[in-house]
Amino acid sequence: MKKLRILMADDHVVMRTGLRVLLERQANLEVVGEAANGRETIELAASLKPDVVVMDVGMPSLNGIEATKAIVTQRPATAVIVLSMHADESYVMRALKAGARAYLLKDSAAADLISAIEAVSQGKSFFSPKVSRILAEDYIRVLKQKGAVDTYDLLTSREQEILQLLAEGKANKEVASTLNISPYTVETHRGHILQKLNLHNPAELILYAVRKQIIS
Amino acid sequence: MPVASFARSQSRLGSRAVLIGGFAALLILMAIICIDSLQTLGKFETDNTQIREDFLYRERTLEKVRAGLYEAGNIVRDYILLGSDHQAQESLRTEFQSIHDETTAALQACIQSLPSGKREPFQHLAVELEKYGSTIGPTFASGAKADKTLEKSVLRGDILSRHAEILALTKEVSTVNDEDLKEAERRIAEAAAQFRRRLLRVAVIAFGCGLVLAAVTIIYAGQLENSVKEKYYESLQAQRELKELSKRLVDTEERERRAISRELHDEVGQSLSALLMDVENLAEMSPRESAFRQGLQNIKTLAENCVNEVRNMALLLRPSMLDDLGLVAAVEWQAREVSKRTGMLVDTVDENVSDDLPEDHKTCVYRIVQEALNNCSKHSYARNVKVVLSQESNHLRVSIEDDGKGFDPNRARGLGLIGMTERVSQLGGVLKVDSNPAGGTCLRIDLPLPMVSTDREN
Repeated sequence: MKKLRILMADDHVVMRTGLRVLLERQANLEVVGEAANGRETIELAASLKPDVVVMDVGMPSLNGIEATKAIVTQRPATAVIVLSMHADESYVMRALKAGARAYLLKDSAAADLISAIEAVSQGKSFFSPKVSRILAEDYIRVLKQKGAVDTYDLLTSREQEILQLLAEGKANKEVASTLNISPYTVETHRGHILQKLNLHNPAELILYAVRKQIIS
Repeated sequence: MPVASFARSQSRLGSRAVLIGGFAALLILMAIICIDSLQTLGKFETDNTQIREDFLYRERTLEKVRAGLYEAGNIVRDYILLGSDHQAQESLRTEFQSIHDETTAALQACIQSLPSGKREPFQHLAVELEKYGSTIGPTFASGAKADKTLEKSVLRGDILSRHAEILALTKEVSTVNDEDLKEAERRIAEAAAQFRRRLLRVAVIAFGCGLVLAAVTIIYAGQLENSVKEKYYESLQAQRELKELSKRLVDTEERERRAISRELHDEVGQSLSALLMDVENLAEMSPRESAFRQGLQNIKTLAENCVNEVRNMALLLRPSMLDDLGLVAAVEWQAREVSKRTGMLVDTVDENVSDDLPEDHKTCVYRIVQEALNNCSKHSYARNVKVVLSQESNHLRVSIEDDGKGFDPNRARGLGLIGMTERVSQLGGVLKVDSNPAGGTCLRIDLPLPMVSTDREN
């Protein structure tokens, strides 16, 4: 079986070393490069063509979010896993908007990184359980404060099913084949879902799914 | 500095006293001149009148003497002509005596009114008049015999010659009187000249005093003006320095916060994360359910708590979102934190706000939103707060509106609000607070943005 090629980006040598030890224990993973800042990461991603980039957020020269945006634009096939100190929505949202497929907290990286790499290599999303929990708690709190009704209940069961598949990172076509329906139908459902939930883009859809703990 | 200013105020007090004294002296001098002049003029007038009256009185007396003489002459003539008519003669004699007495009395009164130095010619006249009277008087008393004597003496021209003598004397006295008048007039003229000189002298002195006083006043006023100007510039300078200082303080505080936050986040936080990873790696390698693994688990829990603690501290000092993700992300985070902590519902709305605003602007707006939300939660008892950030061409507008109890912004202007205003004005912006005790508070900021620079450092 072909090994997954991994590029690590972090300005902390200690962190990189720790990650490398963790990754190299896995037989199916191969660390092909290390970068210490955003610009270097973009260059290495272009030259090494890794399958997965493990990206720190706070880096000098260019931060991880901007670097993610650049890499995903250049090579959509590359899955970016963002590694951050923060479980706050603002980071998660921006990472997702930039095109990251997974969002991990550094303090639980050891436990989650391998699962995250597996998930993104299969085209799925992944979030640290702690992140999902915090986002979900925030969501529930805001709903309570606003006295609003959970819009999730407005969705039909088919729409709920499609929401989950889309949030996991599947494309319309994949969803269509999984459910044995036409891609156009999926697209229609998708439109309804975004409208009912007052969402505007795939990143918000994923964030919503995480909040609702539809995906993890 | 206090000693110098004390000395200066002392000297100012002194010069003020000198000025007041000078003006008072000048006024008193002028009043004295006025009173003196009026008095002197009045005296001249009375002197003049007195002299003229005296002169006229003497002239009148002399005239009386002359008239008396003529009348006496006539009486003598009539006496001789009447001859033996004793009754008529007797009446003439009485008449003569009364004229003589009257004239003598008038002359004596006049002499009494004169100062002793001027009596002499009049006394001479009186003596002559007495002699005349005594020459003629006895002839009346001697009857027929006397008539002869009288006749003879009349014939001899005795009486006539005395008559002429007295007349000459009266003329002489009149001349003396004239001279006296002239002399008195000259004296008055001289006194007037003297008065003029004195007036001139005093006027010159007063004018000089006035001149000196005016000069001193002008100099004093000039000094005052200069010192006021100096004070004004000093206070302007002090104000500028204070502003500069407060800006520097704010800048320094922010820089320090950022440095410490970054240090905590990047160094301590990352190292702890790395440590966690290492512990995890070790745990993976250790045998399951061993005491060693349990120990590692404890270390992991401890380190996780540490990471959380450090992360929170760093965020409180200065949220990393502000530098990593931009103003909107930081404000959203702050809003969520306040919501979570206080139960207030904080809504944020942003309209095309750029992610890379200038550093100072980002920090300024973030800190103001932070302070405003803090105020809302502490004082307003608001249930909802809405934070709106919007960017239009080269302006950044922010509003923070709550539905709390509000306050009177004209009365309660706390340090926090002053600090916010100062921060905004340093960037050339305007901060407005609309609030009333009935219906909530709205804080608005309008910040001009500098021209967007194309080179990006980060």
